[in-house]
Amino acid sequence: MVFSSVLFLFRFFPLFFLLYYLFPGRMKNVILFLGSLFFYAWGEPVYVLLMLFSTIVDYTHGRLLERFRGRKAAKGILLSSVVINLFVLCFFKYADFLVETVNVLTGSSLPLLHLPLPIGISFYTFQTMSYTIDVYRGEAKVQRNLLDFGVYVTMFPQLIAGPIVKYRDVERRLHQRNVDLLSISAGLKRFCIGMAKKVLLANQMGELWVLVSGMNSREVSATTAWLGIFAYAFQIYFDFSGYSDMAIGMGEMLGFSFPENFNYPYISASVTEFWRRWHISLGSWFREYVYIPLGGNRKGLLRQLLNILIVWMLTGIWHGAGWNFLLWGLWFALALMLEKLFLGKLLSWLPKVVGIFYTILVVLIGWVLFAMESLAGGWEYLSAMAGMTGSILDREALYLGRQYMVLFLISLAASTPFPHMLAGALEKSRTGMGIALYRFGEKLIPAALLLVSIAGIVEASYNPFLYFRF
Amino acid sequence: MGEKRNALVTVSLILGIILMLTIGDFISEDRLFSETENRILASKPAFSAEALFGGDYTEKFETYVTDQFVSRDKWIRIKTYTDVILQKQEINGVYLGADGYLLEQHLPKNYTVAQETKKIDLLEVLVERWNAMVMLVPTADNILTDKMPAYAPYYDETRLLSQVEERIGEERCVDVYTMLEEHAGEEIYYRTDHHWTSLGAYYGYLAWAEAMGIPAEGYGKEGLETVTKDFLGTLHSKVNLEMQGEPIQYFPATVSRPMTVTYDLRNTSDSCYEKSHLDTKNKYAFFLDDNHAFVEIDTEYHNGKVLFVIKDSYANCFVPLLIPHYEKIYVMDLRYFNGKLFEFMEKYEPEEGMDVLVLYNCIHFLEEFVYL
Repeated sequence: MVFSSVLFLFRFFPLFFLLYYLFPGRMKNVILFLGSLFFYAWGEPVYVLLMLFSTIVDYTHGRLLERFRGRKAAKGILLSSVVINLFVLCFFKYADFLVETVNVLTGSSLPLLHLPLPIGISFYTFQTMSYTIDVYRGEAKVQRNLLDFGVYVTMFPQLIAGPIVKYRDVERRLHQRNVDLLSISAGLKRFCIGMAKKVLLANQMGELWVLVSGMNSREVSATTAWLGIFAYAFQIYFDFSGYSDMAIGMGEMLGFSFPENFNYPYISASVTEFWRRWHISLGSWFREYVYIPLGGNRKGLLRQLLNILIVWMLTGIWHGAGWNFLLWGLWFALALMLEKLFLGKLLSWLPKVVGIFYTILVVLIGWVLFAMESLAGGWEYLSAMAGMTGSILDREALYLGRQYMVLFLISLAASTPFPHMLAGALEKSRTGMGIALYRFGEKLIPAALLLVSIAGIVEASYNPFLYFRF
Repeated sequence: MGEKRNALVTVSLILGIILMLTIGDFISEDRLFSETENRILASKPAFSAEALFGGDYTEKFETYVTDQFVSRDKWIRIKTYTDVILQKQEINGVYLGADGYLLEQHLPKNYTVAQETKKIDLLEVLVERWNAMVMLVPTADNILTDKMPAYAPYYDETRLLSQVEERIGEERCVDVYTMLEEHAGEEIYYRTDHHWTSLGAYYGYLAWAEAMGIPAEGYGKEGLETVTKDFLGTLHSKVNLEMQGEPIQYFPATVSRPMTVTYDLRNTSDSCYEKSHLDTKNKYAFFLDDNHAFVEIDTEYHNGKVLFVIKDSYANCFVPLLIPHYEKIYVMDLRYFNGKLFEFMEKYEPEEGMDVLVLYNCIHFLEEFVYL
């Protein structure tokens, strides 16, 4: 079930929250757990067992870690937990990729498994790992209540697309949380804004990208190629951050406070900054559980560069089982290493706008690698962007630019903190007019966005059949 | 305190929207059929354990809920208007042109040289065997270029037409393109439909008569009579914007003498126009009773001449104009015919031979022209 669907908005959402608010205190976790299982099972009736398996395995490991705390066995238990989690993740996500690689390298023809990827597996395995590692390190208390732990793993708002919530971030709230009118109101507004990002911006930009990526890269003009990759950049940002907003918003409605996942990444003045603003919960997971344990920046420059390389290769491959994702990770590793070596210093001397342009360029090239499954396809697309097709601007680009200009401008504005700052300025303004405008807007804008989003969701299924087509 | 009140208003507003729509959705009855989309909507799937674990129950249920969502048509319209506000000029494969014209989009990449060649090969065989005349009508996007959105891509049909001319010879081709281009300022295409109007067909007829080297009947622009003023065609269905209906006209002179029209060898009628369709959505079906595999028209013009037309729906409003020139007109729509075309034609060919006319719009020719 996706959030941006009639089914979710007008069946699951009202029913779930009605029950959730009606039932008292401790029962809320039962509702949340069962609701989440239903939510997941709707699309994945079989894989829900896998998720429950993960839950029980990590719960047990947590209990064992507690029992053997300080003893040698603890390390083995932690290792067992990490191995099981990674095995589950690798088996379902990377098995065919590995088989294909082996086949290519050795000329063998091992059969592919063709397992469908369990939704959200990359997210919830990372969450459960954070739990056992933190319990081992003594940074989180063990969870003795299986239901509370189950709620943590299966919670539907962030189950499918994050943010990756570390156990200790929600530890306290798992058994005690307050929901009041203010948090419901804030959560609902956040939810509506996220929905609008997804339905009104991401989906529309996605249409443009589908159009451009469907063209022959050896023929498109440079302008068309740039329009296409900008569209993709906006699509992936609004899709992902919109989903995070919806998750965070619903988290608030439940009484949780999930970590932020995006912080206007496209205004970054360096790639280092970009990764502090993009998919923050993943970045911080890798920093905490891979980069720092590897020594981070405390073991000399060379070791730091190596650590960056390792972390971003993993980041790349985490996004999908394909060479292009690995390359995408390496591309960022390269930029980050150069920034550590000298580029970062250089950029800090230059005007900020240079850094922003440089970052956007690196990120856009990254998106080409990310979006194009084959390396040859990626290379062709980059060549088109460089004008190697011999055509810089053509009718097509003019037409598409004209069609999507307004959406581009809205997307651009929505990628900056400007709308937020405007709202803040109005709120703090001393004039009655400004405050009135703010009060009015903060209520009506989310509601209006929700209505238009619903129209977008319903329209997506518009399917006129034209019998007199001929 | 003020903060709390604010929150209460926000919560009631947003939850109110969701709850009201949920309740409204439960109250509203399921529809079997959507007029706007002209299709049967999904109905509630039967629940069973197999359906659930077999995998398609949840999917079907989701389609059902979405198809039956309360005020579905209104939501779709809201979305379309948002697109218009966002300055989009293309919706569902239809260009929103100037002066209220909707024009069907034909992207150049969808029509390849290979496809053109394949169809022309097929056409060439037919022309050689039957000495047929070929009339390929350009679509609105090629002729009403000033109505098209700026820089809007379209498949250039002159590429096809010049190839056809080259292969089968100029004398076998009716140059409709030039004729329509000359009259591009007139109402030769519908605003809400992908067909040409009776006036457009009339200019096509003039081009045909010229190519045949025979004098044209003087139908004249003033000979047109309006039969309905609220036609909303297929392109309107695709974009679903609020639009005014437009007239459908015909030439009463074409039915000045009695005739017998036989549809699919079964049903006969005394006119090539069927007024009953004017009360339905599909008003263009007024011409030749919509699409039939095979239509025979027996006229009262006893000149012994026979015409065999192989056509698409563009011909429906055109064929009646030919009535004064033939004693018998056979009309064949290849989409509904599975037999061997030449054998079939031979059965209907009189001793002294017959004229054969191939009439398609360029796009339908590329997409649909095929025979055994």
